[in-house]
Amino acid sequence: MSVTNVISEIKKDFIYNLLLKGERIDGRTFDQYREISIQRDVIRKAEGSALVKLGSSQVLVGVKMQPGEPFQDTPNKGVIITNAELVPLASPSFEPGPPNEMGIELARLVDRGVRESKAVDLGALCIVPGKQVWIIFIDVHILDDCGNILDAASLGAIAALMSTKVPAARYGLGEDYILPIRDIPIATTAIEFNDVLMFDPGVDEEAIANTRLTIISTMNGNICGSQKSGTGMLKPEQVYRIIDIACEKAKEIREKFLEA
Amino acid sequence: MDRKVVVPGDLLSEDAKRSGEGTYVKNGSVYSLLYGLANFRDKINVIPLAGKYVPVPGDNVIGVVKDITFSNWIVDINSPYDGLLHISEFPKRIESEEMSKYLHIGSSIMTRVTDVDPTMKVELTLNDKKLGLIKAGQVIEISHTRVPRLIGKGGSMISMLKKEVNCNIFVGQNGRIWIHGGTEDMDLALKTITLIDREAHTNGLTDRIVDFLKTEKGARS
Amino acid sequence: MDETDISFFKDGLRLDGRKADQLRPVKIEVGVLARADGSCYIEMGGNKVIAAVYGPREVHPRHLQEATRAIVRYRYNMASFSVEDRKRPGPDRRSQELSKVSREALEPVILTSFFPRSVIDVFVEVLQADAGTRTAGINAASVALADAGIPMKSMISSCAAGKVADTIILDPMKEEDNFGQADLPIAMTPNGDITLLQMDGGLTPDEFQRAVDMAMKGARDIYELQRDALVRKYSQMVEQPGREEVHVCD
Repeated sequence: MSVTNVISEIKKDFIYNLLLKGERIDGRTFDQYREISIQRDVIRKAEGSALVKLGSSQVLVGVKMQPGEPFQDTPNKGVIITNAELVPLASPSFEPGPPNEMGIELARLVDRGVRESKAVDLGALCIVPGKQVWIIFIDVHILDDCGNILDAASLGAIAALMSTKVPAARYGLGEDYILPIRDIPIATTAIEFNDVLMFDPGVDEEAIANTRLTIISTMNGNICGSQKSGTGMLKPEQVYRIIDIACEKAKEIREKFLEA
Repeated sequence: MDRKVVVPGDLLSEDAKRSGEGTYVKNGSVYSLLYGLANFRDKINVIPLAGKYVPVPGDNVIGVVKDITFSNWIVDINSPYDGLLHISEFPKRIESEEMSKYLHIGSSIMTRVTDVDPTMKVELTLNDKKLGLIKAGQVIEISHTRVPRLIGKGGSMISMLKKEVNCNIFVGQNGRIWIHGGTEDMDLALKTITLIDREAHTNGLTDRIVDFLKTEKGARS
Repeated sequence: MDETDISFFKDGLRLDGRKADQLRPVKIEVGVLARADGSCYIEMGGNKVIAAVYGPREVHPRHLQEATRAIVRYRYNMASFSVEDRKRPGPDRRSQELSKVSREALEPVILTSFFPRSVIDVFVEVLQADAGTRTAGINAASVALADAGIPMKSMISSCAAGKVADTIILDPMKEEDNFGQADLPIAMTPNGDITLLQMDGGLTPDEFQRAVDMAMKGARDIYELQRDALVRKYSQMVEQPGREEVHVCD
């Protein structure tokens, strides 16, 4: 049995009443992100790494690379394997054990952003066609879940990749070189609660909302992935509104934190 | 008063008689059990900076109903131990099948601990006019270790606050506080309690709170 | 490569310039996680370890409950990217053994009888490993327990000694651990009561005693640093209330 997270009606009412006044519990506007900070190269043992703080949420992403066999259907392409650990250190509701569906969804969404944006040129990661390619492991370690760990994890993944050095020398494959990155996908998540859309939800906001939509957008303003999550429903107009704001937010975040 | 930050195991006194709360005696000397602030009076007490609320009979607390059984409401009281509110402790005679009509999952209640047995079975009551379902207002949560500062010596802080912010306030020993009043008054009460929570360990707290209220109210009028 | 290929000393100093009885630099930060009841981040040399404490809280599954005391759970986990060759996520035999002995290192000082039927969970995440992760984990966990307000008879401090090139050394680093002759981690109370003792390699009884002495001296120094970190957090709270800044991996 998991830890029950009963949110009191009084708290729900309180958040709802604030919404009616156009306010959020921490004073942000509906489309405002919490403060973001990204520190790169924090883990020396990894080929690339980034610690992302999104408000009080903290996510550490490490990238490791090693040569290995390609998949049979893509003999000339490198491989990306993304894994997320929702370790119990990060939240009273996370439990030890193999990743649950929440962790797997998170890992797959982070993976989707990197893969579908074609941020990494997998063709360039071929060492011996059909025999040996570079395998990139993206490992997401959630440290402190104060809400919206998905956006933080996605940001961490691309930031870590952008600081990744291919460890060619270690495997006798020439000199180390910087992993080329061709796009910067950014995931932005909004929740819907009583027809109000709120970006970058905190834990209390996540607890009251039944519906969440994540939009992953690329540098040219296109969408390379999205996911509706939760048991609620969304109207098409709500989806389009989220997309509009999401692409704009993604652009801001990209310019401010990753293109410098 | 002599105060000092201590960590578990710090030697506090060589006089075993001075052992107070948050301390233990070994070989005739007094040591700290906790990370916190040691107050050296006749007795030495260590006030922790954090920790979980452990219920004590007689404590007023605020709980949230998390489950309902045949004859009990199971109540989260912000503690490692849930409280049990038996159907007979509801102020009115009701039948088992209508329990959820009066208090359902998610309901917040002002309640009192009546008994705690050695296995930490915690019993609650609503049998007092001051207790009951919370229908309006706000509940905020602070660390239960800060509650004594919010109440103040002999209730001085809390009665000053109630008067100044013109709100009903119910302080749960478990760190949950109910505030009820006009919107602006509630905002001010919330801000003030947050300030007390944050600065609970500082000196001259009461004076600062009085000043804070004066400034805030001045800005409003 | 075997040990004879490495020269562990140069001009009487170790590979990283330390003397035989010198600790690596240690950095400790208290209260680095918002969700946890208590937390601590520690760097010991190249180790970066974070510990969180949750509890006392309800025990799930319920059959693990004990009527008269809290149970203590300790989970030592290595991030996949914490080591040179990526580690497969999840527990293995090594991490389970370390979890067990680390829990037993801390449990003797925890007043478990104060919290019947509950659990105190200690989670240790190794973010970067560089020999001595278990000792770093125990040091962080002890501070995190204090930070969570858990009643304890004392702090626990942990440090290892080793043997390289027939010399007893304090706090072995990776190369010394991999190619050295012995590794001996201990944990203890500030009074010198030992709560963890492990050894692998080869030592004479006399060397064993010298290694224990040296590790205890290291642990005593670490105790002072743990204490400083806790006192420092408190004064920050008083001077800048509400500004409980987070520093991981800086």
